[in-house]
Amino acid sequence: MDLHKFGIKFFAVDGQRIDILKLIPLYHRWIQHNALQELLIDVADYSHVPAGPGVMLIAHEGNYALDETGHERGVVYYSKRRLSGELPERFARVAQRALTAARLMSADAELDGTLNVPGNRLQFFANDRLLAPNTDAAYAELEPAFKAFLERLYSGAPYRLARETDPRERLSVTVQADTEAPLETLLARLS
Amino acid sequence: MPVDLAREIDVFEGQIELKKQGKIEDKLFAETRLRRGAYGQRYDNGQRHDGIAHRSLPFPTPTTKGPETLWDAPGMQRIKIPFGGLNPDQMDVLADVAEEYSDAICHITTRQDVQLHYVHIEDTPDVMRRLASVGITTREACGNSVRNVTACTLAGVCRCEVFDVTPYAKATAYHLLGHPDTQEMGRKFKIAFSGCKTSSCGLTNIHDLGFIARTWQENGVTRRGFEVVVGGGLGAVPYDAKLFDAAVPEEEILPLAQATCRVFARLGEKRNRGRARMKFLIEKLGFDEFRRLVLEERRILPPDRRWTDYLKDIERYHETPTQAPSKLDLANLDPEFEAWRATNVYPQRQSGYVVATVTLPLGDITSWQLRQLANVARRYVGDNVRATVEQNLILRWVSEGDLPALYAELKRLDLALGGAGKIEDVVACPGTDTCKLGIAASRGLAAVLHERLVERQKNGAIEPAVRDLHIKMSGCFNSCGQHHLADIGFYGVSRKVGGATVPHFRVLMGGEWENNGATYGLTIGAVPSKRIPEFIDHVTQRYVAERQSGERFKSYVTRIGKKALKEMVDAFSSVPPYAVDRSLYSDWRDPREFTISDITTGECAGEVVPQIQFDLQAAEQRNFEAQVYLEQGEFQKADEAAYQSMLIAARGLVRTQFWDLPDEPDPIAAEFKTRFYDTGLFQSPDAGQYAGGKFALYLLNRHADKARTFTADKARHLVEEAQLFIEAAYGCQQRMSEERARALASLDLPAATTDATAAAEATA
Ligand code: SF4
Repeated sequence: MDLHKFGIKFFAVDGQRIDILKLIPLYHRWIQHNALQELLIDVADYSHVPAGPGVMLIAHEGNYALDETGHERGVVYYSKRRLSGELPERFARVAQRALTAARLMSADAELDGTLNVPGNRLQFFANDRLLAPNTDAAYAELEPAFKAFLERLYSGAPYRLARETDPRERLSVTVQADTEAPLETLLARLS
Repeated sequence: MPVDLAREIDVFEGQIELKKQGKIEDKLFAETRLRRGAYGQRYDNGQRHDGIAHRSLPFPTPTTKGPETLWDAPGMQRIKIPFGGLNPDQMDVLADVAEEYSDAICHITTRQDVQLHYVHIEDTPDVMRRLASVGITTREACGNSVRNVTACTLAGVCRCEVFDVTPYAKATAYHLLGHPDTQEMGRKFKIAFSGCKTSSCGLTNIHDLGFIARTWQENGVTRRGFEVVVGGGLGAVPYDAKLFDAAVPEEEILPLAQATCRVFARLGEKRNRGRARMKFLIEKLGFDEFRRLVLEERRILPPDRRWTDYLKDIERYHETPTQAPSKLDLANLDPEFEAWRATNVYPQRQSGYVVATVTLPLGDITSWQLRQLANVARRYVGDNVRATVEQNLILRWVSEGDLPALYAELKRLDLALGGAGKIEDVVACPGTDTCKLGIAASRGLAAVLHERLVERQKNGAIEPAVRDLHIKMSGCFNSCGQHHLADIGFYGVSRKVGGATVPHFRVLMGGEWENNGATYGLTIGAVPSKRIPEFIDHVTQRYVAERQSGERFKSYVTRIGKKALKEMVDAFSSVPPYAVDRSLYSDWRDPREFTISDITTGECAGEVVPQIQFDLQAAEQRNFEAQVYLEQGEFQKADEAAYQSMLIAARGLVRTQFWDLPDEPDPIAAEFKTRFYDTGLFQSPDAGQYAGGKFALYLLNRHADKARTFTADKARHLVEEAQLFIEAAYGCQQRMSEERARALASLDLPAATTDATAAAEATA
């Protein structure tokens, strides 16, 4: 499957402790200082919407957010444009971007250490129902590449998968790995 | 998906491709995409002030999609929802496209539209196709066109309406959609329907054309019709709509709308965009002359069965509830539910049914919520959902006894916020968040006020008289947030303080939401953005303390007078020096130091592009399809498509002189021959350039060939000939416009006057 539009969210622990409005100046600073290796455009504030996309950083190739969907906060990146490489490579690239953002946020003085992303729980979602609807067949097509990516990310450690069951929702899978690893380690495995 | 709609979207996709190849000029493509609802967004010129300095946004694609609008810059997609009517399948698709192409947020606008932000132009055809599959079009959502036709959200269930205006609004929306008489307008044109005169929902007073339901007796029979008002509008200087006719029978509303569009298209200003709305045309012509012209135009309109076809079943028009009517069991109700019910539930005129409002902060709903809400609608109300001009959604035909269960469902979705239509239900346009014209952060301010007022209400700290007030705000004077109609309204401005720029909002007070938006607020003065919350506290406290028994805010404002109001505003107008308090030098929810340098040219409508240019483009597209058929060996189809492409180009030319040309081959060929071939107009004076009259004969000969046989050779030749014919048509159009410009220069008259006169003569 030639999937390009998808995202990965790394869940935070105790995410409700974060003052989400502090992300607005933080993202603006990232834009000012080119903190991420892509074209950053603007900040979109949806903090007034409960369980929504939170505060977003709009980039050219994809969007970053401290997403609040399902009342579970987590750092998400999803790609909007074509990605190069094979599918496992694309998964790795999107995960790298989310992890990089999570690492920067966790270390930012503005958030005062309130963001804790252990990296051992993530959600993958295909953001393209035309190509990848939430069906067994579509998942079966993606599964080998996805598992290859997880193998790399968790370095062979065991994990459990749970798929979204509502066929109207996006094809998505939540992954819980048995062991935690620092974000730097996860990033190193993907680099 | 209807074939026509599918084809239109294919054509648009083809135009995107042609634009990428540099084969369409910027202005034309900009108006083309605007007419499909694909609008520019802030920073789309690739420049952005990041709070430290102006920086270029180095988008990778060098192409533009309009003058100074970069191809890759994300844009806004507006989606027309006539009278705000939605069904669950449509809600599902809206949710999906918002998630996959936008930012997972559907934004409800003050015109019952839906807007998606940060959409890439190349994704728009897919968005449009998916919407079209559930009967939604984005056509003419922006640009110089008839915008979304709005109507009372309570139409059909309202306790004070004269009759249900829904089917009339629907008929008007679809009759004028893509209608030839609405294609040459110099500016947007807004229509609204109201079921009564006294309530607010329809807001006919702020529309170019407003219809207010009424009935009368004629020969002992009750007749349905409308009071018609024209020329209203907000903007920097708001205009009240004027009474055009106190009683227009129902069968006359479509032709009257059409005639009004014709007069506006023909005589409206085309060059000075600031004076191009219909209110200015009425002012220029004088109301009586405008009315005379519209009635004269109505008299000569070629009859159209669609004017009355829809009326046959109109009295039987109805909506179908999913549940039987029932009564609410008033015993043991939860106080939270009761608080919500007090503000968000409206008993319908149909006993046992109510309308439930889903309050959306700032008009935003997430994709997940919208999809879940679609399921809730399926269960409780079926197809009876509407978007409101107060940026909420309503569920109609809720069986009253189902309310507690519905409330529980909404709570699960975080959609059980109370206070619909109350002070905390703040209305705001996009402002500097995404709008290219925005001066101040209307959404940032609205979010702060909303959160603050919700909190106060929870603590019981808002007086009932204050809670009934409306707050509305716009990011600039263009009034998309309808600030003139609020008790307390704001629009964004800026002020220089000690060499720095400070975001401010100008304050208006005493506007009237009721009576179809009958009174506009008084503009008083400007307050720094960051001081607006304390200013609102002060004003509302004064109102509570000083109001006479039962006195409404509008009356209070009138009674205390402008001087006292000005003093109130002035008390909050000071700005401390930058060194003392920097916080006032940035806007709400945007920490960058404030600047107005990000404002660029707006796209509320694009350039005025003459219809002939669209026609010629359509002709090219059709001939391109002929080439594809040829390639596929479908020779008859290729031949017919090439022939049609010439007819489209010829029709475009003829319509520059004869607007009412029927869209049929015989009259097109005949009129083209008389007006362009016989007169020599089509033939280039530049010998050889377009081979004299030869190219015209390609069409005329093909048209005369009634017993044509279809072969590969013939088809191939005709496709070539059609291309030459279209080129010659471009040449002809070019010469005509140059000639007109020369004539104008010699007369020293504005172009619009002469064009209009010529067109008027041609039509008459
Ligand atoms: S009022 Fe001004 S800022 Fe608001 S949407 Fe309209 S043009 Fe943009």
